[in-house]
Amino acid sequence: MVRLPDNVHAGDNTVIHGDIAFKRFLSKQVPGLVIGAQCTMDGVQFAVGPQGRIDIGDYCYFTNAVLLCELSVKIGNYVVIGWNTTIADTDFHPLEPALRIADAVACSPLANGRPRPAVAQRPVVIEDDVWVGPSATILKGVRIGAGSFIEPGSLITRDVPPRSRVAGNPAAVVGPV
Amino acid sequence: MSMAADRTLPWDWYSGTIPKNVQLADSAYVESTFSFYLFRSERDDAASIGQGASAYLGTMFDVGANGRVTIGDYALINGARIVCDAEITIEDYVLVSWNVLLMDSYRVPVDPDARREFVKRVPASVLRRFDAYGPARPIRIGRAAWLGFDCCVLPGVTVGEGAVVGARSIVIHDVEPNSIVAGNPARLVRRLTPEEINHGR
Repeated sequence: MVRLPDNVHAGDNTVIHGDIAFKRFLSKQVPGLVIGAQCTMDGVQFAVGPQGRIDIGDYCYFTNAVLLCELSVKIGNYVVIGWNTTIADTDFHPLEPALRIADAVACSPLANGRPRPAVAQRPVVIEDDVWVGPSATILKGVRIGAGSFIEPGSLITRDVPPRSRVAGNPAAVVGPV
Repeated sequence: MSMAADRTLPWDWYSGTIPKNVQLADSAYVESTFSFYLFRSERDDAASIGQGASAYLGTMFDVGANGRVTIGDYALINGARIVCDAEITIEDYVLVSWNVLLMDSYRVPVDPDARREFVKRVPASVLRRFDAYGPARPIRIGRAAWLGFDCCVLPGVTVGEGAVVGARSIVIHDVEPNSIVAGNPARLVRRLTPEEINHGR
């Protein structure tokens, strides 16, 4: 059994499997993670930074997904996310080499309290009834429209219109659902 | 190097067994019965693992009620997810790298309205697994083929013998024998030369 951190809310008949679910859950938000009812979170990693908050609707089913959240990840109802898929609302490090050097120092054991430079972050939104195949990657700022079907291995860098089927790297619409 | 009479593995960290309908060769090595945690095939001939074959940690046989998995002699499965509702055949000497996905079925309707009804039923099932849905299409990985890490092989695909699939490729079309493919979707990079194909023969 996983012990839920105090700022995590899970709804009726929701199950969370796996020892690593909250190993990297550092959210200071209240709440920092809200999971609706009737959900199955099998081997999911909730890697959430101090400012991050994840909202998940009802009847969601995630298998071994990694959710990396420094800001906001919002997921609707009836969303299925496949094995080995990663969702991130952040770039993790700055684009500019000089800022990245400063970030490397700030992340090091020698940081001595140096603050990290700002990093590009934009919320991710996945609307109702979306199916995300295994080994997909969804990056910052993306909104995936309701009912869409994300083929396995897709890398999503742009918004996906509702009820569309996407595939590839970078992902493109290959047809309606 | 074989399982005990009660179908446990002496070296196992997980307290499971090799299912009765899995035929395991004496010289085959399975690192953990955890690989069968999602194995629910009801067929008599649900799986066979050949002589000298090995399935290392991270391998998961996610096999539905009608699924059948065949792993040939000396095949090496180094941590793959095998999602099977029909038939997945991995022939002799095949090398499968870590985090590879083989799926012969999407297990969900593509139509979102139909999918919602399907998804709603899952929390009521005991194992919380998806029922088989729609046509599963068998997968075959030909003799001595090599699948690079993180690649996905999708329903209906045949990878020809001796072929090489590059890391992180998404294979949606058949791969011709003795060729190299890569990309998303995977495309032909080149064919092996006759010298390469016949090397050592």
